[in-house]
Amino acid sequence: MTLIKCKQITKHYYRGSEQITPLKGLDLEIQRGSFVALMGPSGSGKTTLLNLLAGIDTVSEGELIIDNEQIHNFSKNKLASWRADHIGYIFQLYNLVPVLTAYENVEIPLLLHSINRNERHERVSDALENVGIADRYNHYPRQLSGGQEQRVAIARAIVSNPTILLADEPTGDLDRETGTAIMDLLKSLQEKQGQTIVMVTHDPQTTKWADTVLHLEKGQLIEQEVRS
Amino acid sequence: MKLLKVVPTVLKHIKRAPIRSSLTLGGIAVAMFLFVMVESMRIGVKEATEMTANETTLVVYRENRYCPFSSKLPQYYEQRIDDIDGVSSVVPIQIHVSNCGASLDVVTFRGIPRDSIEHAIAKDGTIVGGTLDDWKHRGDGAIVGKGLAARRGIKVGDRFSAAGIDVFVAAIQETDEAQDKNVALVQLPFLQESARKGGTGTIVTQFNVEVDDASYLDSVASRIDETFAHDEHPTATFPEKAFVGRAARDIVQLSEVAGILAWGALAAVFALVANAVILAVRDRVKDHAVFQTLGFTGWLIGWMVMIEGAAIALIGGLLGGAAAYTTVKLGHFTMTMEGVNIELSTKPSAAIIGIAISLGLGIFAAVVPAIRLARTDIASCFRAV
Ligand SMILES: Nc1ncnc2c1ncn2[C@@H]1O[C@H](COP(=O)(O)OP(=O)(O)OP(=O)(O)O)[C@@H](O)[C@H]1O
Ligand SMILES: [Mg+2]
Repeated sequence: MTLIKCKQITKHYYRGSEQITPLKGLDLEIQRGSFVALMGPSGSGKTTLLNLLAGIDTVSEGELIIDNEQIHNFSKNKLASWRADHIGYIFQLYNLVPVLTAYENVEIPLLLHSINRNERHERVSDALENVGIADRYNHYPRQLSGGQEQRVAIARAIVSNPTILLADEPTGDLDRETGTAIMDLLKSLQEKQGQTIVMVTHDPQTTKWADTVLHLEKGQLIEQEVRS
Repeated sequence: MKLLKVVPTVLKHIKRAPIRSSLTLGGIAVAMFLFVMVESMRIGVKEATEMTANETTLVVYRENRYCPFSSKLPQYYEQRIDDIDGVSSVVPIQIHVSNCGASLDVVTFRGIPRDSIEHAIAKDGTIVGGTLDDWKHRGDGAIVGKGLAARRGIKVGDRFSAAGIDVFVAAIQETDEAQDKNVALVQLPFLQESARKGGTGTIVTQFNVEVDDASYLDSVASRIDETFAHDEHPTATFPEKAFVGRAARDIVQLSEVAGILAWGALAAVFALVANAVILAVRDRVKDHAVFQTLGFTGWLIGWMVMIEGAAIALIGGLLGGAAAYTTVKLGHFTMTMEGVNIELSTKPSAAIIGIAISLGLGIFAAVVPAIRLARTDIASCFRAV
């Protein structure tokens, strides 16, 4: 079943009078429950595409349909509340809020949902448990290792049960062993909870966890391999 | 609703940057302390010198004289003033002060004829610790205003002396009137004797005149002055508050100048909050982009910044306002000049106004950074850091 549908997506940026077009008429479909790895050389538009899927940036031309909603027509505010309900985003450099503890970081997205304190507590605890870092709930990001920080970031991304989990080089800053553990964690989220995952990666090794690999070059899809 | 839920997060940002926050809060508190002290002084001056509609007291002074030492009027004027239409009572008063200039610790003695003492008690005054009869029965008795008593630690039964006059404390007068609560009332002949050894006992400093109705104030004043215009000792008669304003003109001017300080203090509060908010926004470009990625709207984040500015200003304002209020309340500051007393207002209004203004300035200082933040584009924020 198709979850994400990109129709002739083009994205322009303007730097002064210069126009940059990282995505040019991209067509793409992603199935619900799949684990997609997005590869391509630097500057090929991977992050740009991920940001469009996340609704933190908007298309210049074309249509973007996610879960039967026409995202490209959404206003800024509607897009924000849509993100709160549908998107979990994992960054390469974790991007935890430094003055908040692990627990408080994971709690942030739930502040936007109308649920009470107790339920919030339960869901934060579950998410921390789920990523195997429940014992560090009271630590600040500076007191955690990179791998632990990324686990907290994953907990924050999944705590509101998003439709799609997006990850931009989630293991890019971690050593091989820690990276493997993070990839196993993402894979288990896909397998156990049917989570749809779209992940940007530079590392061909990490594509072995994915079931679909997309190759992007100069803003266009040049190859799509589906593994079983 | 969402706004309420993010308040704890905002407060954590303030609490968990303790050095930066305490520097900002300290600065705001000091500025607000200054503001509230100056405002208390200004309110005190206003209360002492600004006429209200139901004033009925006139002060008759020697023309062109400003200090109680040089204002000398014969006591027999009393009868002539009393005969003027519209006058309901006259009290001849000898003022003796330990210092004529502007000062914070002056003792003012008012000499009152024994039988006029009832008219010399403030309208809201109550006598505690003794009675008017106790006072009448001792030639050297004094009724001490509670402000003076508190400042000097004076109790009923004590003796105290100032400016070479030694009195026995017969009672304390409780009143909120600044002119009454900071003086010691003594018997007129006693004061005349003590103040001018071997004097004739017929000279007084001033007469306090009560008129029948507030609307007669001006006409009675001019009639008194006309009566003595060609006498050996011409008079100048003023409504009591105008008299205070005239005698304490230096203090009144000082309070006007101090008003500029108050504006400066407000400017400092604004600058401190604006600086704190701008630094916070700049520091947290990435955090704010993360919040937005998680589904916060730009406006919600803008509001969080506004709440932060408001909270800093409110906390700083509360600290400074409370400190100033306590200082004024415990300090009993009275500025005395030429025998009149002006108190720093001990009402909470100066502190409340200060705290409210501080809060308003905090919100105002955060508006522009908040709006700019609400409009920034998320994707470019990540690229910028
Ligand atoms: N907000 C922006 N303003 C201007 N140019 C932009 C903006 N976002 C992206 N670009 C440009 O678009 C092109 C694609 O960028 P993008 O970040 O999508 O590449 P990428 O495939 O993620 O590269 P990398 O592997 O290095 O992360 C780049 O040339 C980049 O400079
Ligand atoms: Mg990228």
